[in-house]
This record gives sequence, C-alpha cells and structure tokens, in this order.
Amino acid sequence: MERAVPLAVPLGQTEVFQALQRLHMTIFSQSVSPCGKFLAAGNNYGQIAIFSLSAALSSEAKEESKKPVVTFQAHDGPVYSMVSTDRHLLSAGDGEVKAWLWAEMLKKGCKELWRRQPPYRTSLEVPEINALLLVPKENSLILAGGDCQLHTMDLETGTFTRVLRGHTDYIHCLALRERSPEVLSGGEDGAVRLWDLRTAKEVQTIEVYKHEECSRPHNGRWIGCLATDSDWMVCGGGPALTLWHLRSSTPTTIFPIRAPQKHVTFYQDLILSAGQGRCVNQWQLSGELKAQVPGSSPGLLSLSLNQQPAAPECKVLTAAGNSCRVDVFTNLGYRAFSLSF
Amino acid sequence: MGAVTDDSHSTVFPGARWMVLSSHRPTSLKPGGKPPSSQQVSNEVIRKRLLIDGDGAGDDRRINLLVKSFIKWCNSGSQEEGYSQYQRMLSTLSQCEFSMGKTLLVYDMNLREMENYEKIYKEIECSIAGAHEKIAECKKQILQAKRIRKNRQEYDALAKVIQHHPDRHETLKELEALGKELEHLSHIKESVEDKLELRRKQFHVLLSTIHELQQTLENDEKLSEVEEAQEASMETDPKP
Repeated sequence: MERAVPLAVPLGQTEVFQALQRLHMTIFSQSVSPCGKFLAAGNNYGQIAIFSLSAALSSEAKEESKKPVVTFQAHDGPVYSMVSTDRHLLSAGDGEVKAWLWAEMLKKGCKELWRRQPPYRTSLEVPEINALLLVPKENSLILAGGDCQLHTMDLETGTFTRVLRGHTDYIHCLALRERSPEVLSGGEDGAVRLWDLRTAKEVQTIEVYKHEECSRPHNGRWIGCLATDSDWMVCGGGPALTLWHLRSSTPTTIFPIRAPQKHVTFYQDLILSAGQGRCVNQWQLSGELKAQVPGSSPGLLSLSLNQQPAAPECKVLTAAGNSCRVDVFTNLGYRAFSLSF
Repeated sequence: MGAVTDDSHSTVFPGARWMVLSSHRPTSLKPGGKPPSSQQVSNEVIRKRLLIDGDGAGDDRRINLLVKSFIKWCNSGSQEEGYSQYQRMLSTLSQCEFSMGKTLLVYDMNLREMENYEKIYKEIECSIAGAHEKIAECKKQILQAKRIRKNRQEYDALAKVIQHHPDRHETLKELEALGKELEHLSHIKESVEDKLELRRKQFHVLLSTIHELQQTLENDEKLSEVEEAQEASMETDPKP
C-alpha cells in the first residue's frame, strides 16, 4: 500500500513578507465614495485599498469580493486621514494632502491629481496631518496635525487661506458645527477649542481635564475623538467619554467606559464609539449602554457610516483598527463579515 | 369512424344518443412498412388514452364491454335473453353517462378553482404592496420617534445639570436679604464715621486750647523768671 506524500510547497520570500505585513497592519482611516458603492481604507504603510461594498453585500458574494478591488501606494508614511468630496478622495498623512479622482482610482496605476503641503513654520521637520475636515459651505478643507495649527485650504484654488493658532500641542481630531460655521478641534493639550471660521478667532475653549467628573489623570489629558451635533458635543480619549452642552460648557453625561475611545459619532438617536476594546459601543444620550458589538480587530481606530443616498442598499457601518480587516455591520446589532487587505 | 349502427337491426335505441368515437387502432402494428408519423400518432393516442384511463379498470373497459355486449345482443337469439341483455346494456350506458357527468362537473370545478386562485393571487399581491407601503410609513415613524427620544434625552441631560444649581427664587430672595443687610450696615457705618469725625474735631479743639494755655503759662513763667533775675542783679550791684 502506497503512502501518499503530501506536497510541500515552500513559502517564498514574498509570501512571508506579505503575511508579516498583514499581521502588523493598522488601518487608520476610511472613506466612502460619493456613489456609496466603494470604500477606501488607508493603512500605516501608506497604501490605500478600494473595496467594492456593493459586490461584497450582494447575494452572490464570494471570498474574492471581500478583497480590495485595487490597492496602491499613496503616501510614503501612514495615511492618517481621508475624506471624500463629490468627485475626489483626499488623503493625508505625512505632511501632504493628495487628491485622487474616484472615477480613476479603480483602474490600475492611477496618479494623484494634485498634492499640497500647508505652510509650516519650520521646513526641517514636516509634521504629520492627523485630521481632515471638509467645509462644504465655503468649499474648503481644514487640515490639522503635528504643528498645532489648523490650516484652511480653498479647494478651488488650492491656496491656504488662514491659519488658526491656539493649541499648545498637536491636534488629534476635528469636527464641524453646522449651524454657525465653527470648527472644533481637540488635541493632546487636553483642550477642545472652537474656532469661528468667519473671524478666524478662537471663540470658546473647553479644558476637559479640568472638570473633575470626567478627568482621568491616569490616562492623560489628550482628546482623541470629537463629534458634534450643533448644540452638543461628545469628546473622549484620556478623559472619560463625555457629552457636553456647548452653550453652557457643562458636561452633562459621562459614559461609563474605561477604555479610551478613538472615534465617536452621532447616529440617529445614538452615539457610536469605538476605541481600545474590541467592540463598537452604542450609547443612548442618557448614558446607558444600548449595545456592545464585538468586531474582529483588537482595537478600533475609525468608524464610517455609509449614508450616501445614491446607494441605500450599501448602508452599512464599517469599523477598522489594529488589524488588516475592516468589519462590516449591516445592521448595528452584529458583525456581518469582514473585508480584508 | 362514425356512429356504430347495425344495419341488420334497424332500430335506433333511445339510449344510443351519443357516438362511440372509436379511434382505436389495432395494438399490433405491422413492423416496417408503416410511415413513422402514423406510429407517432398512435403513440400519442396511446399516451392520451393511458392518461385518461390508464388503469384499465374504468370507463374505457366499460365502453369496450358495452360494444361487445351490443354486438353479442345483435347476434343473440331468444327474446328474453335479448331483453335481459338489453337491460344490462342500458345500465352500463347509464353508468358511463354518470361517470361522464361526474368528469364534466370536476372539469367545471377545476376551472372555477383556477379563477378563485387567480383572485386570491391578485389579492395577495395587493396586500404585499400595501405591506411595503406600511413598512415605509413605519420606518418614517421610527425615525421620528428616534428624534423625539433624542430630544427628550437631551432635555433630561440638561435638566439634570440645572437641578444641581439652586432655585432662582431662593437665590433672588437671598440676594434681596443680603442687599438689605448691606444697606443697613452701611448706614451704621456712616453714622459711626460721622460720630468719629465729630469727636475728632472736638478733641482737636480741646487739645489746641490746652496747648495754647500751656504756651501762655510758659510765657508767663518765663516773664516772671526774667523779672526776678533783674531784681536780684539790682540788689547786688549798689554794694561796692
């Protein structure tokens, strides 16, 4: 009787390298295409991968539909932040903003449309850009990051119009307050500053760590995530995740979670947050935890809700973080599947 | 083949009011020779007959028996036998008629069932469309309810904060009382200061008067000392 010898295929260098790369990958940012059918994810190697949500959500989805349609090297450093306008994808990480056309990206070998660098004070060290924010009313983009300033760039002309100074340490996150065009920025110095875009001045400062109810000195004072709903604001990070009433600058509700949160957003009547734990947390405004849905990454860094009206069948929540996988939640109660780099 | 009538007995029986359509071909087909279409046709016929009455224990057999008995009756001799055979044939005929009637009724019933199903199908389609609309309506209502809940929770959150601060009426009352006290105290202070001023002035006057008196007394003493000294020197001077 012959014993069948199993075929041993030696792993080549490239496969080992790719496997190691996937193991150590962190996905920092996500953005949904204007048509709602594609999702772009940017990782710490500077690559951007485009996933087809409509293919992965369709009824005859196979394993290949959960892989990216195209992956390309976008930046030299990590891609910390991405936003989409109605035709472009703007990505930023290592001090530069690059723009890509959504229609072109699906073909291989696409080049960036333009790249810009905001005017930094020192030319020696190029600080990273941590957050991008689109202001649709004046068609401009706000960048903030390592140089502790907010730069505004006009999207039509590409010039940098104003610089907002006030933070004493680098800025983590930005949020836009729709009604009065104000920008909120939160940073490592523990303060959330509100800037009026018309007068380019700081209107209000909330030093979160100074309030006893929410400060957690053992975690630090950094503000990792911000979200605003015009009258209310949620911020978290070192201090506890808290809901603030902006006009009176008072903390109204403190959400009882110990892990620092890295991304928070308002959705319908809930607040969704994700951070150091494995789960996406859903909170009611009263402070109760409505649900905690585990994802597949050990820590989550970004959440993205696809609410594009053009593709209601792709209305999903996607979460990504310290792994090469993007979890897709079709209904907020459970994780449907994961897309993978 | 058309109606079966036997010319030898030229009486048409009242029972025979239907035609025996016998498209029955002999089962043994001559091999070769026959064109394929007729074979196909005969296959079709066989299939149809099998479909209609495949088990061979029903109407087809009865009809065959009827035909055979008819032929036998035509060839029979005696009157009584003929009569009994005739009766038997009539009964068989009526049985066949009965089964035919039954089949017609079933056919009618099937047609009506089909119509009924069509109707039910349309109704179900309508109710599905209605349910879709209701679902859309309910989704809108859910969104509305969520917004309301969010507003209520925001209100609650603010209310909780406000509760921590004391009531406005009480604070106002306290403020009023404090204000009155303050006024009262300031009045007292003013009056005390006035008194102090007055006393100070009086003391000033007193002290200055004393001082003047002292000055005057000192001056007087000095004057009297000078006078005494002058007198003493005048007494010692005239002696030498």
